[in-house]
Amino acid sequence: MAIDRRLFLAGLGVAAVGAAAWKYVPRIFEAPLSFEAMADPEGFRKIEGGKRSAAFDPFFGLSPDEVDPGEAVTEATVRQDICGALYGGNTVPSGVVRIASFSDYYCPYCRVQTQKLARLEENSSGGIEVVWHELPLLGETSDMAAKAALAAKRQGAYVLFHKRLMKSAFRPTPEYLRLLSKDIGIDHDQMAADMASASVEEELRTSAALARIFAFVGTPALVVGKTVIQGQISDRTIERLIELEREEGVSATCATA
Amino acid sequence: MRDRLSGLKRGMLLAAVLAGALLHFPGAGKAAESETHASPAVQARLISAEDGIAPDARSVSVALDLVLGDGWKTYWRSPGEVGIPPQIDWTGSHNIADVEMLWPAPKRFRAFGIENFGYDTEVAFPLRVALEQPGAPARLNAAVNLLVCSDICVPEIFDLTLTLDLGTGIDLASAARIAEYAAKVPDDGDRSGISISTAFIAADLTSLTIAARSEAGFQTPDVFAELGPAAAFGAPDIRLSEGGSALWARLPILYAGEVLPELRVTITDGPTAATLSPELSPAPPKPPFSLKTAVPGIGDVAWIALFALIGGLILNVMPCVLPVLSIKLSSAVKTSGQSPHRIGSGFLASALGVLVFMWALAAATLLARWLGLSVGWGLQFQNPSFLAIMFLILALFAANLFGAFEISLPSALQTRLANADGAPGYAGDFATGAFAAVLATPCSAPFLGTAVAFALSGRPLDIFVIFTALGIGLASPYILIALRPGLVARLPRPGPWMVWLKLALGGLLAVTAAWLLSVLVGVSGPAAAASVALATLGLVLILSIGRISSRLRLVAGSVLALAIMVGPAFMLPPLAETRAIATNWTPFNRAEIARLVSGGSVAFVDVTADWCLTCKANKALVLDREPVATALDAPGIVPMRADWTRPDEGISRYLASFDRFGIPFNVVYGPAAPEGIVLPELLTSEAVLDALEAAARRAVAIRE
Repeated sequence: MAIDRRLFLAGLGVAAVGAAAWKYVPRIFEAPLSFEAMADPEGFRKIEGGKRSAAFDPFFGLSPDEVDPGEAVTEATVRQDICGALYGGNTVPSGVVRIASFSDYYCPYCRVQTQKLARLEENSSGGIEVVWHELPLLGETSDMAAKAALAAKRQGAYVLFHKRLMKSAFRPTPEYLRLLSKDIGIDHDQMAADMASASVEEELRTSAALARIFAFVGTPALVVGKTVIQGQISDRTIERLIELEREEGVSATCATA
Repeated sequence: MRDRLSGLKRGMLLAAVLAGALLHFPGAGKAAESETHASPAVQARLISAEDGIAPDARSVSVALDLVLGDGWKTYWRSPGEVGIPPQIDWTGSHNIADVEMLWPAPKRFRAFGIENFGYDTEVAFPLRVALEQPGAPARLNAAVNLLVCSDICVPEIFDLTLTLDLGTGIDLASAARIAEYAAKVPDDGDRSGISISTAFIAADLTSLTIAARSEAGFQTPDVFAELGPAAAFGAPDIRLSEGGSALWARLPILYAGEVLPELRVTITDGPTAATLSPELSPAPPKPPFSLKTAVPGIGDVAWIALFALIGGLILNVMPCVLPVLSIKLSSAVKTSGQSPHRIGSGFLASALGVLVFMWALAAATLLARWLGLSVGWGLQFQNPSFLAIMFLILALFAANLFGAFEISLPSALQTRLANADGAPGYAGDFATGAFAAVLATPCSAPFLGTAVAFALSGRPLDIFVIFTALGIGLASPYILIALRPGLVARLPRPGPWMVWLKLALGGLLAVTAAWLLSVLVGVSGPAAAASVALATLGLVLILSIGRISSRLRLVAGSVLALAIMVGPAFMLPPLAETRAIATNWTPFNRAEIARLVSGGSVAFVDVTADWCLTCKANKALVLDREPVATALDAPGIVPMRADWTRPDEGISRYLASFDRFGIPFNVVYGPAAPEGIVLPELLTSEAVLDALEAAARRAVAIRE
């Protein structure tokens, strides 16, 4: 039985389509990312991570009535330079996507997301820069854990700190902090000093002001470039978003905002 | 302690009184409840069973009533590893002496490997409110701090006010709701008939073991332990015996504080629950039966063999194997003129091919293990040359089916085969079977993880049984046709449809080839994969262009084929800059070990590699799991990881210093073992913990 060349080429075509389908068919069914422009702050947009956070009123925010006058001043200052507050003010080369991550010690998913983002940053060979914010919403322990995390961050051990917390409960005791600093290989005295420092306090205030400005309802929350996401988010969504932000360029918003 | 127990009793009493009240006060009064705090996550309000404060009443029954949105949950008084229980501040209330909050039995939630205890859908926390001045109006002012989580965690902070004027009457709906949840508050064992006979906390604080009994018999029990706010427990291992009336449970302690507060254990079982404070026993209760035995019983082997059999059967429809079955069937279609006897024995030969390959694999597994090499299922798919060869074979088959060229044996050989009366082409049948088995290996990994992990750590007999069962499962379609060769006769006659069938089968093969190529991209990088694809295309062209002389064709074809087989091995992509180092694993530094040991620390060295599946099993089953994970995390212990994924002279020399040339390889160094204690390849928690303890002996003595 002779099969002619045309049929052979048709076969090759089938193979190529098959191979493409293998990899890309699942993506065809992906809905495009849908955004909603934010009225305030200007130049940012939001995407809903989980369907549940979407149910919240965008103006719900974090108990805005409890802002004390000192914090209100910070909020006004932060509004002057939202991008600087979000991303630490450093300029990055174009093509680098910056992510601001907000987490709280008591939020189970936050730690998972922290590890996920850390891996993304590590594997991006410089294409992604993550800036860590702490948003302690749940009382004193939450607050102490946040300060410890920021102190660890000053010694380059923010991710290690969060990873360590996945194994045991954080306790705001000196012995615990001594043990913890030893475990993650940072200087304890420095950590203790940093936890009580004005710079950590200032950083927490800035993060809290950002949370109010962006009207976060809870944790985790992310700002990827100029896109705000609240709640748990799938790996695929965050990858697509990073790709998109890279294409669109992140600097424009931050220049105008 | 006394207060709490009496509190529990009061909870029961409350339920009973309310149930009684429902019978005696059929008329509904005016509802006494607070405003509702509503958000998408939760609707919260205070409800009261009594419509007002009755004359001389000393207490009222109130509840914080929560209706949680779909997917939202809130937490128990011991929330688990993270989370925070609801908190209520009563400042600003009027005529309130004391409010006692009762906690209905929690549910266990598991997400991202984190254990949490709490409530979903709805819950009411019964509140027993004692009045300062009996029979006088009261006002409850609740400042509630509630953490609710779904895919986001939201702190809900709100105030609820409930005013209770003088009056009598029962709000039926509220009373029923409070009674419902008061009944869910764990009792002290009286009503539920649950008791704990033994509770034991291991001296090294790694686990809690309890033995409990239920008069009514346990159905679906769960165990929640509380040991102060700092402690966290992992998922319990619960075993029932004596027809469900005896329960044995062990809970890994993920973390415990320095001082151990009183232990509280809550056992839930459907609607009943009890919270008990057992005395600690000096020795652990014996488990009623053992889940892990050193030598698995006949039953275990039979079960796992059954899994392997089913797994093997499933493999036939996997994309990596289906095409081989199709080739076999299409050849049966082509030669349907053959006698049923010939077809039957041909398929039997294929089945034998599958089995022989499986046995060869079993033998290779044993041999490799005996040689101390790391063995892994699907490991050959890490090998670029293997991938390239498989790709080549599949691509050629596909091209052949698409009609690019005809594979024809030299006429002399054909004649000889035709003349050899009896068994023409059995070798081909046999090869088809073996080929199917080779291709099946990558697909099997996810399905047969259990069986294979069992096999790798099992006795030679286990390995033989499992691989045989796998082979029989995979060969079952061939065996079926061998037993009923008549099935082939039912296949339709040759005709133009065969062209389309060939195309379809070719398409399947091509898709499989494309998949192999994508694996090759992962192993050797895009450049190597592209070269293999191009070379294969060249080979197909050479074979399909008729004008080329047969000698040239042979030479060019051989050269290309050889290049495909050997080339990828030399085209490894550059290694990623820094490899992720887990938690507190520090990168391996041989020079550092001596310094650590002299400082009194214990160093645990793990030599591993991405391709070493036994290392991965060690990691998943022992190193990353309790109690070892906590032990490695302890102060004074430095876990080091050496990554041998790509050849590393330093690590090779280190291994050689122990006369070892393969991994997994684990050593523990410590003040008591400066030369290191070498651990067995297949780690066990006991082995690791014993070695850590042995190596640290002196350090512990100093510190204590």
